[in-house]
Amino acid sequence: MELQKFQYDNKIVKWFAYATMLWGIVGMVAGLLAAIQLFLPAANLDLPYTSFGRVRPVHTNAVIFAFVGNGIFMGVYYSLQRLLKARMFSDMLSKIHFWGWQLIIVLAAISLLLGKTTGKEYAELEWPIDILITLVWVVFGWNMFGTILKRRERHLYVAIWFYIGTFVTVAMLHIVNSIEIPVSFWKSYSWYAGVQDALVQWWYGHNAVAFFLTTPYLGLMYYFLPKAANRPVYSYRLSVIHFWSLIFIYIWAGPHHLLYTAVPDWAQSLGVVFSVMLIAPSWGGMINGLLTLRGAWDKVREDAVLKFLVVAVTAYGMATFEGPMLSLKSVSAISHYTDWIVAHVHVGALGWNGFMTFGILYWLIPKLFRTELYSKRMANWHFWIGTLGIVLYAIPMYWSGIMQSLMWKDFTPEGQLKWQFMDTVNVMIPFYITRAIGGALFLTGAIMMVYNLIKTIKIGNFLANEDAEAPALEKTFAKHGKEHWHRIIERKPVQMMIVSLVVVMIGGIIEFVPTFLVKSNIPTIAQVKPYTPLELQGRDIYIREGCYTCHSQMIRPFRSETSRYGEYSKAGEFVYDHPFQWGSKRTGPDLARIGGKYPDSWHYSHMLDPTSMSPGSIMPAYPWLFDDQVDVSSTVAKIKAMKRLGVPYPEGYEKIAASEMEKQAKGIAANLEKDGMKTKSDREIVALIAYLQRMGTDIKKTATDTTKK
Amino acid sequence: MKQRIHKNMFLMVCALVLPMLMFAQNQTPEKAISSDFSNTMYVVLVTSIFLLLLVIIMMGLALKNIIGSDFVTTKLKKNANTLKNNEGVKSNFMLLAAAATPAATDAGVVEVNDWLIGGLDMTTFFILITIIIFEVAIIAIFFRLIMHFTAKEKVAAPIVNKPKEKTIFDVLNASVDIEDEHDIMLDHEYDGIRELDNSLPPWWKYGFYLTIVVAVVYLANFHIFKTGDLQVAEYNKEVAQAKIDIAEYMKTAANNVDETNVKLLTGADLVTGKELFVANCAACHGAAGEGKVGPNLTDRYWLHGGGLADVFKSIKYGWVEKGMKPWQEDFSPNQIAQLTSFIYSLKGTNPPGAKEAQGDLYTEAGASASDSLAPKTDSLAPKIDSLKTKQDSVK
Repeated sequence: MELQKFQYDNKIVKWFAYATMLWGIVGMVAGLLAAIQLFLPAANLDLPYTSFGRVRPVHTNAVIFAFVGNGIFMGVYYSLQRLLKARMFSDMLSKIHFWGWQLIIVLAAISLLLGKTTGKEYAELEWPIDILITLVWVVFGWNMFGTILKRRERHLYVAIWFYIGTFVTVAMLHIVNSIEIPVSFWKSYSWYAGVQDALVQWWYGHNAVAFFLTTPYLGLMYYFLPKAANRPVYSYRLSVIHFWSLIFIYIWAGPHHLLYTAVPDWAQSLGVVFSVMLIAPSWGGMINGLLTLRGAWDKVREDAVLKFLVVAVTAYGMATFEGPMLSLKSVSAISHYTDWIVAHVHVGALGWNGFMTFGILYWLIPKLFRTELYSKRMANWHFWIGTLGIVLYAIPMYWSGIMQSLMWKDFTPEGQLKWQFMDTVNVMIPFYITRAIGGALFLTGAIMMVYNLIKTIKIGNFLANEDAEAPALEKTFAKHGKEHWHRIIERKPVQMMIVSLVVVMIGGIIEFVPTFLVKSNIPTIAQVKPYTPLELQGRDIYIREGCYTCHSQMIRPFRSETSRYGEYSKAGEFVYDHPFQWGSKRTGPDLARIGGKYPDSWHYSHMLDPTSMSPGSIMPAYPWLFDDQVDVSSTVAKIKAMKRLGVPYPEGYEKIAASEMEKQAKGIAANLEKDGMKTKSDREIVALIAYLQRMGTDIKKTATDTTKK
Repeated sequence: MKQRIHKNMFLMVCALVLPMLMFAQNQTPEKAISSDFSNTMYVVLVTSIFLLLLVIIMMGLALKNIIGSDFVTTKLKKNANTLKNNEGVKSNFMLLAAAATPAATDAGVVEVNDWLIGGLDMTTFFILITIIIFEVAIIAIFFRLIMHFTAKEKVAAPIVNKPKEKTIFDVLNASVDIEDEHDIMLDHEYDGIRELDNSLPPWWKYGFYLTIVVAVVYLANFHIFKTGDLQVAEYNKEVAQAKIDIAEYMKTAANNVDETNVKLLTGADLVTGKELFVANCAACHGAAGEGKVGPNLTDRYWLHGGGLADVFKSIKYGWVEKGMKPWQEDFSPNQIAQLTSFIYSLKGTNPPGAKEAQGDLYTEAGASASDSLAPKTDSLAPKIDSLKTKQDSVK
């Protein structure tokens, strides 16, 4: 067998490592700003670009896709080459991948701050960026499979199974959830509406957590943990079982984000039971990680890298046990819409993804630069400050989340709600402050790490191309004796990709097809009519300003919610909502039936200065809506797009849309004038008021109509 | 809740999980027992039973593993005095399981009893406590057995091999000893990473099976046998129960005020009324009632009548089409009366910046009880209609 000489590409790993550090800091700063805005509304600066509704998507997108995304690529490009004994397939593809991804991040940050958003959580980016993501993702897959095909190692190691599963599933999720109809270059409407859009979106949202934040990081764990601990992986059998069960079951659990909503009961139940069944597959990864450290626990005491990895794996175990518990309907009834969920995801994000990334960086950078870490003491300090940060972040949010939820549900014996919504906001402030301190500590730790690593890089000596040698793979494979059945697929990468794709498609298909095809799942309501052009424009402003980040539009069938907000929401009410705007968090009250609850002038004053109408409010002010004009030129395109999506506007409606819009706007302006508020009818605030006053009123029309008859 | 006597522990677990699951969704199973998940005591007891059972299962599995291992068999041979053979242990084990089973299956049978302990009737309480005592006893015995089998060899004679120390984790996970791991080291290696072939930790494996059983039972309960309430049914029950509770409370409550009997309050009530007004009404009506978005409340002109009963009604039911929301879900009848009285006291105060008059001049003389009562039925009518549509839409 001839020994072949080749070189590993370390340069691309270094680039991704730099990007990880940079975007990590950026994403965390954005998060800290958003956290501060929650107790200090002045931090919104009264500017569109810095208001919470736009900063929050920047934060989530930056930490998920920029920080963790670059972290994934850093780890994959390093480990893949070594596990396959081959250089990356093409340096050019690596470069395109790297710069393409950074371009996406920059475009995302700019467009989100400008308010260009689809209004679907974690999938906010508009259609041109969606297409770019797809292309860059294909480049990544092409490069990865190219490397796999020219490998010098017959079988694929468990880390690579996870990389392959990640690649195919993220591709599927992204494409299916991003199907949208462009209105203009920076505006599109989701192909799906209401209940269907919610189901697709949370199938995506849940599995973005699964296949972007979990499976690739499990792959990284399987490489970097045994490497750092210098111990064999605990159980091969466990790897096989937990890999396949994890990717199969994860996909089904999406509807647990929609418990007690208007989503059909059977879909909710599937979400519940698959979440419960997910405990063991998730814990399989944790067990395999922690037990790999058997016999190396003495090293954990010394080594900062192992400390980070151990806490990361433990946080993963906690979050994946908590997840299924939150998916039980009786727990969801309390936890949904509250800060409990925010705490839950941050245990995963800060603990699992954050600490895993830090551990890998501390291990990798000295390796790439052939030196020792600049300061081990500082790394240990980072570990403790970061851990304290997570604790200070999570505990107040758990506490306040449960407290607020119980206050929402509290009745007096006379049958009145005990607390106004504002009362429940006021008590949150100390918790928001503590949370921000926790976040600031975590960020401080990350900045210390960047400093430490820059110092390390300065003293080190980078090796761009690392020499390696391995025998070439023989054309034919001769089996020696008995082997585990799974070994067969480990030497057939293409088959493995196809099988994983089939496995992850099953859950989605079974949940979607009936919801799309069986009419009884979404009973129609005759009174529900399409939005008027002005309301549609107002709705787009609502989406642009990210109102959905703090306000839900989904009243659950609980007495405490129907008392506070009105009749619980029905599936048939959302059939023209492209995209749906149910939201996932109630920092402010639900808005599903806000229509008609207050006069136009109330909304006018409230948007200008929320505290004037609700003293103590932490909502930002929206002064620009009073100056900016509605983009009338887009109305025709929007109506046309809606018609193509099947919204039943009358024939030729787009021609009269402009005049209809003007008529309605003048009515609202006149109404405002009566209360002494003078505004031109072409301002954005008028359109927004039109939308707010329409919300949830269609069903009420039934009542008045029948009384008239 | 009659159940057959189950022969093995696994089914016993199901017997306990099944009622748990039903309660988890806040409803009573067919034969309702007096205690449910709203009773803290019950929650605590049932949860403890469930957790202890899990511990027992894990310990049982660990024991099975130890008994199966060579290590113990050789030790048993040496140590014949303590226990004669594996069969002894196994029969012991079955005996305990059988003893616990009838107790567990009786858990659902409850007689109505006047004696209450922590809101639970005596029978339930003692049955649950008995189960817990049983479980603790089993755990104690299992613990002793595990300790016995895993105890260090106290052999005086020098031995060549190091004595094998198994931690409790190794036993629970059925891990191969670190010293012996070369036996299960797989022959492949990736960039220096080797893999062991430890078996699946038994607690993990059976835990996985358990979640699958839970899933099947859950789906069967809600979608095949339809014994569980889906969300709309659950909601309707909740609302109906609340109505009963409120009616019950109102029978004894002194503050049962409505628009037919509201009286002008004074003194401390006015102070409370003012506080409520500033916190909730000032945004629209001004801090002194001078009117902003909402109308002026200090003049003699009223859009919807200025009598005590009229104002009470306006607050309670609102005038939604004019932007006044109904406050009956937010304020108790007594609070509405306090607010009404405070607003009444504002008449003629002439605050600065008062809004222009709206509505009709209202004179006290024209306001007889019958007048103010007349529109009441009107304002209630749409409410009834909306209730009807509620039911329709539910269908």
